[in-house]
Amino acid sequence: MLQALNLSKAYGNQVALDSLNLSIAAGEIFCLLGANGAGKTTTINLFLNFTAPTSGQALVDGLDVIQHPLESKRRLAYIPETVMLYRNLSGLENLDYFASLGTQQKYTRSQLETFLQRAGLAPDAATKRIGAYSKGMRQKVGIAIAIAKQAKVLLLDEPTSGLDPAASNEFSELLTQLSREGVAVLMATHDLFRAKECGTRVGIMKRGRLVQTMATSEIGHTELEGIYLEHMRN
Amino acid sequence: MIRTIAKKEVVEALRDGRFRWAAGLVGVLLLIALAAGTRQFLDLRAQHEAAKTETRAHWLQQGKKNPHSAAHYGVYAFKPKTALSLLDQGVDPYTGVAAWLEAHKQNDFRYKPAQDANTLARFGNLSGAIILQALIPLVIILLGFSAFAGEREQGTLRQLLSLGVPPTQLAWGKALGVGVSLAMIAVPAALLGSAALVFAGSNGDYGAAWPRFAGMAASYVLYFVTFIALSLAVSAWMKTARGALVLLLGFWVVNALLSPRVAASLSQRAIPAPGAFQFARNIELDLARHSDGHDAGKHTAKLLAGTLQKYQVTKVEDLPVSFVGIRLQDGEAQGNQAYDARYGELWNQYERQGRLQEALGVVAPFLAIRSASMGFAGTDFSQHRHFAAAAEQYRRYFIDVINQDIIQRAGNQGVYLRGQDLWSQIRDFEYELPGAGWVAQQRALSLAVLAGWTLASLGLLLLATRRLRLE
Ligand SMILES: Nc1ncnc2c1ncn2[C@@H]1O[C@H](COP(=O)(O)OP(=O)(O)O)[C@@H](O)[C@H]1O
Ligand SMILES: [Mg+2]
Repeated sequence: MLQALNLSKAYGNQVALDSLNLSIAAGEIFCLLGANGAGKTTTINLFLNFTAPTSGQALVDGLDVIQHPLESKRRLAYIPETVMLYRNLSGLENLDYFASLGTQQKYTRSQLETFLQRAGLAPDAATKRIGAYSKGMRQKVGIAIAIAKQAKVLLLDEPTSGLDPAASNEFSELLTQLSREGVAVLMATHDLFRAKECGTRVGIMKRGRLVQTMATSEIGHTELEGIYLEHMRN
Repeated sequence: MIRTIAKKEVVEALRDGRFRWAAGLVGVLLLIALAAGTRQFLDLRAQHEAAKTETRAHWLQQGKKNPHSAAHYGVYAFKPKTALSLLDQGVDPYTGVAAWLEAHKQNDFRYKPAQDANTLARFGNLSGAIILQALIPLVIILLGFSAFAGEREQGTLRQLLSLGVPPTQLAWGKALGVGVSLAMIAVPAALLGSAALVFAGSNGDYGAAWPRFAGMAASYVLYFVTFIALSLAVSAWMKTARGALVLLLGFWVVNALLSPRVAASLSQRAIPAPGAFQFARNIELDLARHSDGHDAGKHTAKLLAGTLQKYQVTKVEDLPVSFVGIRLQDGEAQGNQAYDARYGELWNQYERQGRLQEALGVVAPFLAIRSASMGFAGTDFSQHRHFAAAAEQYRRYFIDVINQDIIQRAGNQGVYLRGQDLWSQIRDFEYELPGAGWVAQQRALSLAVLAGWTLASLGLLLLATRRLRLE
């Protein structure tokens, strides 16, 4: 679903991403770990075609994101650290807007409500203006957009940082559900515990290089933490 | 997709208190200006109509008198006002709308409100045209400056573009949204305006008003589309909404506030035209060089000699025609020559100044819409000149009828009096404004400049959205 082929990005002489080779299949949740400035956001921006690579290729569902800037985006959903929505519109209206632009089809109100419900938003919150939403509620609208879009790929950039543990847990459970339905997930995160819990694979990134990749089923929490800290040390 | 985007923009605008205030304010101002304009227009037309019948009745009933006295008694000629002039007074307050026609004089225009009003009143007069040309662009800027830059700052732009929305569609949708929001302000006013138009045109002249109305509406659409596209282009281009707002307001100030003054002084410098006092003095000097019909100078002696020779007589008393009449007609011809030369020169200068200002519309579209708008309203200088020429033609016609009567019938002795049978031989002054096609031709430069601005600003918008930046 997601493929990076020798993908590199440099800002001036600062290398943000160094020949990344990565392939994420349908149903997989790949968690990208790494310190601030490691190149996680750059990777996601390259898949979104928000920045142009210095070299290499990014593919979404087999489509080169530069040659197919619109088609590749139609297959994915993007959830940043904080999902940005229109303050003067309600959660439902925001979902309606983003969903109809993302899918070019019109959902009925009850369909939209179902999406929000699946994403875990309380029904009475749906009609409130976004101005009154907590961060967790915004992230849920983001998930609802992804569900409405029937995205095959999720690109998540630290979506749970700043969420309370319960909300964070809820979020992870939603991801697990979506991946069971065949969605491929690439998530940048600092949360080693969550990465081990809901990820199928984790990758550790350091100064733009993906230094190690592991299947979560093969390691334990403490082991993962040990490996991570080991990489960060040198 | 464009409709979805436009709808969301409108909903957001409606929920935004700033827009509601601005729109309400401009809407109310527009209604006030329309109401005041309609009232003024109806008053003026009633006055003209009354004066027109009155001036004819007075003319016919002036009693027995010497025909030349009747020529000095004179008549008024009124320039018809289109209903659209209630929106745009154009140059009428400066040029006047009633010509006083009498012997010897040309272009004696009366009823120039601007002449009487003090400066404060002149600028205090909030016309529909000023609202449309200056205030509405301000509303467009307020609606458009944050269209892209605001979403960029809020982070919703990333969200939108991650959906696979083509940026150009986004631009068209937003442009449509601004257009619809604007229509919410303009449509109630436009409906009431049209009602006023139909009401005002109730005695038949409004069939001819529609092509002019269409021309004016099209000009304003071009002007507004230009501002919508420019606002969105700048919003897409600039990093921050604040930066976009500052740049757009700067352009607005140059366009609506500075350009009319700069253009006026530039055109006066490039094509100097004499002021009113200087002009009057020039005419006076020219006329002094000619006989003016009452003067017994060298010229009269020469004219007499020529006439006597023509009729092969030696004394005035023996002439078969009235020498007084010949002298009057000759004076008229001399005067016409002087007036034609001076007015022709002056009006060509004004016309060229006007064209230069239209061309300066390339820098500030305000200049182009101003001239197109008064053109279609029938209140620009070209139509003043058109009317003045027709009035002058009529003046010559009726002075000629009177002078010919004197020449043929007055003889050379005693008092000569005529009555209504002569007065009624002179047909009434009838004048129709030229059609919308004529206006479009006269104002072709402004219309081309407006179309150019529209195309250029749309091109700029396309360019800016193609390179839409995320940060
Ligand atoms: N627009 C940019 N211009 C210059 N350097 C950038 C830009 N974006 C990111 N970088 C640099 O690229 C590197 C990787 O950044 P990023 O991908 O944001 O890291 P992460 O998301 O893992 O914290 C950092 O050193 C950062 O300073
Ligand atoms: Mg980051």
